[in-house]
Amino acid sequence: MKLQITHETRYDYMPAVETAQHMAYLQPVSTRYQQLLSHSLLISPTPAQMTQTLDVFGNPRCFFSLQTPHNELAVVAHSVVSTTTRLLPLSGMSWEQTREHFRYQSGSAFDAATEFVFTSPFCPRHPEFAAYARPSFTPGVSVLAAAKDLMTRIHTDFVYESQSTQINTPALEALENRKGVCQDFAHIMIACLRAMGIAARYVSGYLLTQPAPGTVKLRGSDASHAWVAVYAPDLPPGDRWCDFDPTNDRAGWHSPGEDYVTLATGRDFSDVSPIRGVIHGGASHTLTVGVTVEPALGDAGKSASQSQSQNQSHGLGQSQSQSQSQSAIN
Amino acid sequence: MKDVNEFPISPAASARPDLREVAMACAAVAGHFDELHGSTSSNPVSAATSAITSIAGSAGLTRAWGQFFENIADTGALDLNQRMVSLERQIRDNGVTYNVYADEDGPQRPWSLDLFPLIIEAESWQQIEKGVKQRMRVLERVMADVYGPQQLLVKGLLPPALVQGHPGYLRAMHGVKPVGGTHLHIAAFDLARGPDGNWWVVSQRCQAPSGLGYLLENRLAVSGQFPQAFQAMRVQRLAGTYRALMDSLKKLSPAGADSHLALLTPGPYNETYFEHAYLARYLGLTLVEGSDLIVRDERLFLKTLKGLVPVHGLLKRVDDEYLDPLELRPDSTLGIPGLLQAIRAGNVLVANAPGSAFLESPALLGFLPALSQHLLGEELQLPSLPTWWCGERSAMEEALPRLRDCAIKPTYPGSVSHGSFDAVLGRSLSSRELDEWAGRIALQNEDHTVQAYVPLSQMPTWHAPAKGIDEEGQVVARSVILRVFAVSDGPNSWRVLPGGLARVAGAGAEIASMQRGGSSADVWALTRGEVDKTTLLQPQLTPATLAQRKRLVTSRAAENLFWMGRYTERAENAIRLARLTLECLNGEEQSSTPLLAWLSKMAVANTLVLPRVPSAAQARRVFERSLISSLGSTEGATSVGYYLRALKMTGSTVRDRLSQEHWRVIVRAEEELFSRCADHARKGDYSSLDALQILKDTSDHMAAITGAQTDRMTRDDGWRLLSIGRHIERLSFLASALTRGLATGSVHTQGGFEAMIALFDSTITFHAQFQQSRDMAALIDLLVLDRDNPRSLAWVAHTMRGRLAKLAGSDPDEMSALSLKLPNPARWSLTQLCEVQTQAETTFREPDLELDEAPADGSGYYYALNELLLQCSAAAFAVSDEISTIYFTHSGDSKQSMGTS
Repeated sequence: MKLQITHETRYDYMPAVETAQHMAYLQPVSTRYQQLLSHSLLISPTPAQMTQTLDVFGNPRCFFSLQTPHNELAVVAHSVVSTTTRLLPLSGMSWEQTREHFRYQSGSAFDAATEFVFTSPFCPRHPEFAAYARPSFTPGVSVLAAAKDLMTRIHTDFVYESQSTQINTPALEALENRKGVCQDFAHIMIACLRAMGIAARYVSGYLLTQPAPGTVKLRGSDASHAWVAVYAPDLPPGDRWCDFDPTNDRAGWHSPGEDYVTLATGRDFSDVSPIRGVIHGGASHTLTVGVTVEPALGDAGKSASQSQSQNQSHGLGQSQSQSQSQSAIN
Repeated sequence: MKDVNEFPISPAASARPDLREVAMACAAVAGHFDELHGSTSSNPVSAATSAITSIAGSAGLTRAWGQFFENIADTGALDLNQRMVSLERQIRDNGVTYNVYADEDGPQRPWSLDLFPLIIEAESWQQIEKGVKQRMRVLERVMADVYGPQQLLVKGLLPPALVQGHPGYLRAMHGVKPVGGTHLHIAAFDLARGPDGNWWVVSQRCQAPSGLGYLLENRLAVSGQFPQAFQAMRVQRLAGTYRALMDSLKKLSPAGADSHLALLTPGPYNETYFEHAYLARYLGLTLVEGSDLIVRDERLFLKTLKGLVPVHGLLKRVDDEYLDPLELRPDSTLGIPGLLQAIRAGNVLVANAPGSAFLESPALLGFLPALSQHLLGEELQLPSLPTWWCGERSAMEEALPRLRDCAIKPTYPGSVSHGSFDAVLGRSLSSRELDEWAGRIALQNEDHTVQAYVPLSQMPTWHAPAKGIDEEGQVVARSVILRVFAVSDGPNSWRVLPGGLARVAGAGAEIASMQRGGSSADVWALTRGEVDKTTLLQPQLTPATLAQRKRLVTSRAAENLFWMGRYTERAENAIRLARLTLECLNGEEQSSTPLLAWLSKMAVANTLVLPRVPSAAQARRVFERSLISSLGSTEGATSVGYYLRALKMTGSTVRDRLSQEHWRVIVRAEEELFSRCADHARKGDYSSLDALQILKDTSDHMAAITGAQTDRMTRDDGWRLLSIGRHIERLSFLASALTRGLATGSVHTQGGFEAMIALFDSTITFHAQFQQSRDMAALIDLLVLDRDNPRSLAWVAHTMRGRLAKLAGSDPDEMSALSLKLPNPARWSLTQLCEVQTQAETTFREPDLELDEAPADGSGYYYALNELLLQCSAAAFAVSDEISTIYFTHSGDSKQSMGTS
């Protein structure tokens, strides 16, 4: 599926910011399953300096700095990607074997994915996560089946509430309250999986949404999305990550669905937050973010014909209100 | 080397308690290696097996300790008490502190130092040296691999939990080759000497190890107490190693020998700030905080009064995760946004390269033998204590049965999110507690590391009697841990500082740590070869190095100096005013209404009493008592004590620019004032005579402080701002004093006239020139116009104009825009200023100076003088505001000129 994304971030400062340094993760990754067809990043005012590099996980990131006083900053990322997805594969490896796979023993084989078993700033270790996860991890069940069950439970048990959490809300608090946004659900699911010794990573991205029946989709009404990828060591090398979206109860190989766009992957939000910066001056600021995801020209027909069903209990206007019936795995 | 027996024991010494006998009586606890005797008491080391400790037969002391006590033998035991006192005073006077829970108001704890050094014989030292250098080679290779190809992980030689699972592994540094090619420039190793006399590595520090400054101070203090022993025993000197480190850092920095290096400190509230300031000064580095620096175009710059100056190297004492809020901890205020980009671009050398904290995990020690084999093909020459990381199942199974004989340590010390806890010794736990630990270890195996316990060796320490220095002291044995330092002296090459920091445990204690209230000792590494006499003084100064050595004034230091100047002057003014007030209230003119009115208004205006306190005329005793009680208090009125404390706080932020004497007297002035005021307040009988005595003594201290400011500071732009700060306060204080004196009519009374001259500190000059006259023209001439009187308004205005012009870089004799804000004293004329309007002509009066009664008859209204005084006060405020805008807050301004590198 060919999708185009416009992600606009705008800061209004009062008083003016004198100098600023920013780091942006706004360019979708290019993988075997997602092609980046075009990308542009427009920044106003024009930065004094700008560099583009890959981070340790292979995500493109952009540094830019502003050295003159400015009252507003606008960052507009425009990307066109072509996405594919596959159904969740069959994995015969039990979750216990998977946990054992990551255990260190002198001279044992190394798996780079072990990095995603450890705690990270937004996914701390806590007995509560293990306790919540445990019912999904029955003896001998495969890691992907356990993850899928966990995803569905989070989707069922938790209330999606757009204003309920801030980015700084700890996952633990969201777990206690049984409510949050996509980011919280992803963090909770990752913390649960890691508590069981499974490698799980955070995926930052977008999801194509359809307007509620009878309404017209508004520009900028979408938002960034986040979900989880789980590592199954018995799948072919390079194809071991499977994606699970607890917000929408959807899963797939490399991506939960064709209507998903992967921006970047990391241990949690802190590794791949879309824009992060340090400013001097500007005592107060307002932030406006607008995201529009839509089928790219030349691919509109195909996207319209796709079968979509609204089976979410969430209110209208949310970006994470899409769901697709999934074929069962396992 | 001379045999110890050849040293004669002086007859004088034999009359007093023989130190050697006293020392010989001291023995380590059974099971601990005894440094003094070179053996372990339950298991004496025979002379034949002890290759590293030669025992001086008859004395029963090791050769080195025997020699030490021989050399100090003509010192009696009583003299040692005296030396202990002198040592403690030196430490206190030099302001050597270690702040455990440092905060703005918290007490700084003096550094604790033992009288005797830990002596390490040449053979023993060589082993340590070789072993530590080898370890540096291993650690550097581990760093290079972990931030590069990660082959050690792939080969299973290093568990991912100790790298990617360690919070100190910085992903932002992955793939970065540090400029100069070396990651580790400084590392510290804590060594324990076991009962067999061998040294073992207990832990290693490389993120920002402390001690390199404290040990220098220890060396100066202790070698000074025993100069003869120090000379005779061939104690290896330290300066050469520091010099090698500096040369190496410069050579490896992007600008080579011309590199500008700075020491990055978290600031004065850090527990080891004393050391940062001390080291910066000793090594000739600019002492900087994160907010002093800025990154532009992936280059690092220092914000100074003269614009942005390139920085090529940082010796950092800030923990890694705080270094760059853009990529690391976003809440850090100690770092520099963009620093990691500058590092990655190779534009700045940071010692050590960020990301080394994972090497500090005790768990790593268990893997080093295999790593050394793999990386160097060598066995470790200096072994670590046997260590088991419980994240590896086989290691855990080995460790669990021996918990009782081991220490249990956190794998990720200091990281709450990674299950850190306080290390415990198995032997101190009950069986039940041991079982509980075993349970926790099994549950969170990766968080736990088990390390074999060895009883620490014990060294002699001098224990002065509690009763007083006239009693005999004792030599007692105390457990000791030795911290040694390796520093780079070129690319991938290190040397070991011949000496170190010995940390001495309290009585009965085992783990030696400064935070647990232990003490420290100097470390004398003996050498067989030549003593290295290198100093840090440059042999030849080239014009380039000379220019570079000109001290840069950072905007932050400039601002602190400016405020230091202002608080100095405020303290001086407050003291003088308080003294004058107390003297007047108890003097001949104590019932003069205008004088009392003037003093009351001055006291309120200068915040010696709160405005709601009744005036001296209304309730003399209440006024007096409230003025006295505020002197040594930081609550309510901001009086002398408040200003002295503020002076000390600002002084502490520019500690590296103050001479020892200067700083010492600032500290003493503040401490004495508060303690004496508190004493009197406790006793309840706090008379004005007591207060006057305190003020007089404080005034003496202030004379020393201002003397040091005028005479012992380099007159650079920083000093100029300090001076300008003082003159701003002086101008506004004196102008307002005179304005109020005129308005209250006080200056026209006998007592008020004298008081005014006294407040301007001009009594002696006035009486020398005018005897007992009480002529207004004479007063105006001396206090306003006299260009030779440093307290006249003309002198202050003239001096300020000059300093401001020089600060702005104007040509000699040229005034800067800021200078012109001040009235020009050359235009003031005595005739004009003495002109008087009668009461009837008076049209103008300051509203706040409205008085209950009219000024004394015939005094008239000095309109021109009043006008001038108001101008002076207004100018003082205006200049203060503009200085802030131009020199301090401009820092982020893009208009500022960019330095070139």
